[in-house]
Amino acid sequence: MTSFQSELGEGGGGIAEELAESQRSISIAEFFEKNKHMLGFDSEARALVTAVKEAVDNALDASEEAGVLPDIYVEIEEVGDYYRLVVEDNGPGITKEQIPKVFGKLLYGSRFHKREQNRGQQGIGISAAVLYSQLTSGKSAKITSRTRGSVEAEYFELIIDTDTNEPEIDVEETTSWDRPHGTRIELEMEGNMRARSQLHDYIKHTAVVNPHARIELREPNAHIKSERATDQLPEETEEIRPHPHGVELGTLLKMLEATDSYSVSGFLQGEFTRVGGKTSDTVIDNFRDRHFGREMAWRPPQAHESADVSDAVEAVVANKGADATAEFAGRLDDALEGYDRVAHHQIAALVDDIADDVEEKYDKTFGTTVREKAVEAAWQAVLGQADEDVTDEEGEDDDEPDSQHETLRSDLYALVDDATSTRKDDATIEGLADRLAPKFAEAGTRHRVTRDDLEEFVRRAAEATEEYDDATFGETARENVVEALWDAAVRVPDDPPKVSEIVSDRDTASDLLDAMRATDIIAPPTDCLAPITDELIEEGLRKEFDADFYAASTRDASVHGGDPFIVEAGIAYGGELEEGSKAEVMRFANRVPLVYQRGACATTDVVKSINWRNYNLNQPGGSGIPTDAAVIMVHIASTNVPFTSESKDAVANIPELESEIELAIREAARELKSFLKKRRSMQQRRKKQDKLATILPEMAEKLSAVTGNDELNIDDSLARIMNNVLVERERDGDTVTLVVENNSDRSADLELTEIVAGSEPALENGDASVVEMEGEWFLKWSVSVSAGDSATLEYDVDEDATFDVSVDGIEEERLTVDA
Amino acid sequence: MSTDTPQDQDGPETTDAQARQQLIDLAAEFYDQFAEGDVPQMRIPTRTKSNIEYDEEKNVWVYGDRTSTRSAKSVSGAQKLLKATYTIDFLAEQLDQGRSSTLRELYYLSESWDLDEAQFNSQDESNSLIEDLEIVSEVKREDFHMRPEESGAKVMGPLLLREQTRRGDREIHCQDDVGQGGYQIPNNPDTIEFLENDAEFVLCVETGGMRDRLVENGFDEDYDAIVVHLGGQPARATRRLTKRLHDELGLPVTVFTDGDPWSYRIFGSVSYGSIKSAHLSEYLATPQAQFIGIQPEDIVEYDLPTDPLADSDVNALESELEDPRFQSDYWTEQIELQLDIDKKSEQQSLASYGLDFVTDTYLPERLDEMGVL
Repeated sequence: MTSFQSELGEGGGGIAEELAESQRSISIAEFFEKNKHMLGFDSEARALVTAVKEAVDNALDASEEAGVLPDIYVEIEEVGDYYRLVVEDNGPGITKEQIPKVFGKLLYGSRFHKREQNRGQQGIGISAAVLYSQLTSGKSAKITSRTRGSVEAEYFELIIDTDTNEPEIDVEETTSWDRPHGTRIELEMEGNMRARSQLHDYIKHTAVVNPHARIELREPNAHIKSERATDQLPEETEEIRPHPHGVELGTLLKMLEATDSYSVSGFLQGEFTRVGGKTSDTVIDNFRDRHFGREMAWRPPQAHESADVSDAVEAVVANKGADATAEFAGRLDDALEGYDRVAHHQIAALVDDIADDVEEKYDKTFGTTVREKAVEAAWQAVLGQADEDVTDEEGEDDDEPDSQHETLRSDLYALVDDATSTRKDDATIEGLADRLAPKFAEAGTRHRVTRDDLEEFVRRAAEATEEYDDATFGETARENVVEALWDAAVRVPDDPPKVSEIVSDRDTASDLLDAMRATDIIAPPTDCLAPITDELIEEGLRKEFDADFYAASTRDASVHGGDPFIVEAGIAYGGELEEGSKAEVMRFANRVPLVYQRGACATTDVVKSINWRNYNLNQPGGSGIPTDAAVIMVHIASTNVPFTSESKDAVANIPELESEIELAIREAARELKSFLKKRRSMQQRRKKQDKLATILPEMAEKLSAVTGNDELNIDDSLARIMNNVLVERERDGDTVTLVVENNSDRSADLELTEIVAGSEPALENGDASVVEMEGEWFLKWSVSVSAGDSATLEYDVDEDATFDVSVDGIEEERLTVDA
Repeated sequence: MSTDTPQDQDGPETTDAQARQQLIDLAAEFYDQFAEGDVPQMRIPTRTKSNIEYDEEKNVWVYGDRTSTRSAKSVSGAQKLLKATYTIDFLAEQLDQGRSSTLRELYYLSESWDLDEAQFNSQDESNSLIEDLEIVSEVKREDFHMRPEESGAKVMGPLLLREQTRRGDREIHCQDDVGQGGYQIPNNPDTIEFLENDAEFVLCVETGGMRDRLVENGFDEDYDAIVVHLGGQPARATRRLTKRLHDELGLPVTVFTDGDPWSYRIFGSVSYGSIKSAHLSEYLATPQAQFIGIQPEDIVEYDLPTDPLADSDVNALESELEDPRFQSDYWTEQIELQLDIDKKSEQQSLASYGLDFVTDTYLPERLDEMGVL
């Protein structure tokens, strides 16, 4: 720059032209090249994953929108130096006209600015993949699409014209395709499979959160196929308009540009959710305060005061006849007396009202000039200047400020005195009022001030008071005074600027945004979100992970800024999951797996911050990701997921969101805890039982040997020791008795099924049901035995009958069958 | 399960067959519990300091009412009962064959049992199981033919006795028929019969060095004393013999130990019985035994060379102040004095006044004071 400056200083006029020559709009390709990392194409390994991700996300969105259960096929193949990627879906297909635009034009899409929970949002993804493919391999993208009911499929080969960002079609023809409807894209690109595990994770995780989708991946080394776990499509999401609390200035300006509304009120009500007439009025009031400021209102002169409004007004009204003049002035005076405080615009309104009346009554015309003069005179009277000197037009100017100053000073004294604590001494308040009084002159004749102006006035006055009067006037006192003054000031009735004015002035738009944010507005509706639901999350986990336990939770919707969101969490534990290594944390946003930047994600932070030992999971050091056989998943559904960057890899650390994530995880983890607790106690029980089952029979055998008695049956003792429910059969002739003895400390509800073969049983007691099947009788009892109690079931059967009892409704560990 | 002490404290009335039967009865009790579908269990008195009480009638300390239960409800309880069963089996066999074994042998022998769960983890465990069995079967371990590793200590004094040995009965005079070491007390002193004696009293000595000094100085001959070597905590056989000397020959029993809290416990176990064998107090303890010293008072009076009390000594003394066996004015006074002077002395410290001081001055003075001489 400095060198240019010096040249310019010498008067070299050619520089600007020279610079202009090298300035040109950068091409879309160049833009892409420079921003690859933002779009997820920064390395060859990652490019392949990103391309798959973009195509699959699009495919899922398309099928769901059409109400079709997604059936997606992904194939990656090595072709010479390149990889060929094919993604097929069974979506609704794309019309012939749209195909080139969807795939051959960056930033073309239906979802930009839409407030709806969707996977993609920018319309940049798939065309970026097309662009990446053409830039690296030079091959065109091959697209086949067939809409429902069409006989033929459309086939295109196209590239993106990087200068114009328009599709360039190489081949356009119809072809036959075995899918009745859907879209297929084939891209060739540079790439490598170093990110294979991320690719597999992406497919697997996608399957978890899309249990309604069938997804298949075929790549050189692997073939993954994930069947659907449900036929239930996600709820259709409603599109909602943005919430006033959820827009940024840029978005607001774009919306202002795009709107058909003429007035701010119409714009607010038409373009935003949760804004009706009342809310819009409040927003506009707040907007007025910010845009125009308020007019300071002062106490009108009281009857006993020397300033006489009617005199002052009469003095400026000429040629209207004495009666009319007197009535006009008198009524204005009376009207003002009705005011505690009055602002300039209020006087103007009064003058207009009264003038209209008097005009009619006396048939005199009160023109604009007269009215303005009257307003001015009355205002001056209010400000304390309308003493007898006023009539003397040549009166010394010097007196005027003094009397006005005195009036305002005493008015302000009362206000400040009220607003500050009683401990402030009189001199300080006097001093502040004294210094504040002249400041209003700076705000124009009408004393119109914004809150910022007031703050500035008070700050200067307070600082001066502190400096010269050796007093203190702290922040709180200053704020209180500003608040009192702002309250005393009156909102102006001016019409708010029109939409067209706001759009051309950033500051005004910013005032409007401030007003929107300052207004209390009810939270946005949440029916625009479609959570996966806890049941389906569990299904999804069950489908993809072979574990012992699954739990999931779905929180109620919450709102951050103007965007509603729902957090869901799921946990799988045990089974085939790997023990002793860190638990797998799966992150999802709007059903899209987040594969990269795990460490930068709010979800990961929350998982790490939880004390998992509370939930009986291993967590060395008591913090960090638990080291246990577990999978923890978190799904965030929102109309606008707050990502840390454009590549949408990590969720930003927003307190409201983090708190919901934590609650969702904890909800699921609580179930895990009780499962683990129960399992641990069952394990201990089994261990004890196993141990006793070796010790006691040996002891019994030894006892028989030592005492020389018969062999012992120790089942009953064992049942009693284990506090088990004991089912014992006794047989006495034809009578079979089943005794259910509950040695535990809680009641047991059991289903006993006795299968009798060889002879038909006759029931003695109990309301058992009997079913005969091919010579076997199924006797079924439902018994409830309270702790420490026993129940007896009896039936008669011939000697030669055989039987076999089975017991349901109780854990195996808690049951001993001796029958 | 009864907690009564064995009935027959005089002589070897418990025959091998009786002992065996009592063990088998115990096994039969477990057997019946199983057969009833009950949880096998064994109840025994809690063997702690807080659960011993003075039996006014028998003048000894016995177990109180608190019991603990070994029950098959827990794995460890079941394992204890299993070990008890295996041990009963072993003991019954041993009695059958007229063999005997030591406590340590039992511990190693369990290694040969086929079931790992039945084997002992430490000798403490097998020792305490034998004590359990003694208590619940009401048979002394001597009658199980179980003996401790170390045999009883030695006796020197004017006493003629007859001992049944495996090689027949022997008559032995404990001064004339023995060497410098004295007469070796057998594991089961109930196999001894006293024949004649010229003794005036029994003097139990804690350390071997002091015993040798007394014998060398001819104290047993000069004062007609039966000198019994305790050798630290006295073995049961030593305590049993001492009791019999008192009960059957009417001899006063005196105890001469170091002047520290551990030695007072030695006196305690001779006189009041030990906590671990309180079930046998009636059979082992000599409540009339008197303490010679070294008393804390002697440390002051004779100005003996001393060592300062260690922390463990202080703790032991304080614990003795709470021990029901030491709740007498005499012991409270002595222990408090010792805590006060913060010093302890060994028996041998008397040598600071010459080798003969103990036999010529200290013991005669003390025994005179106590009214034994």
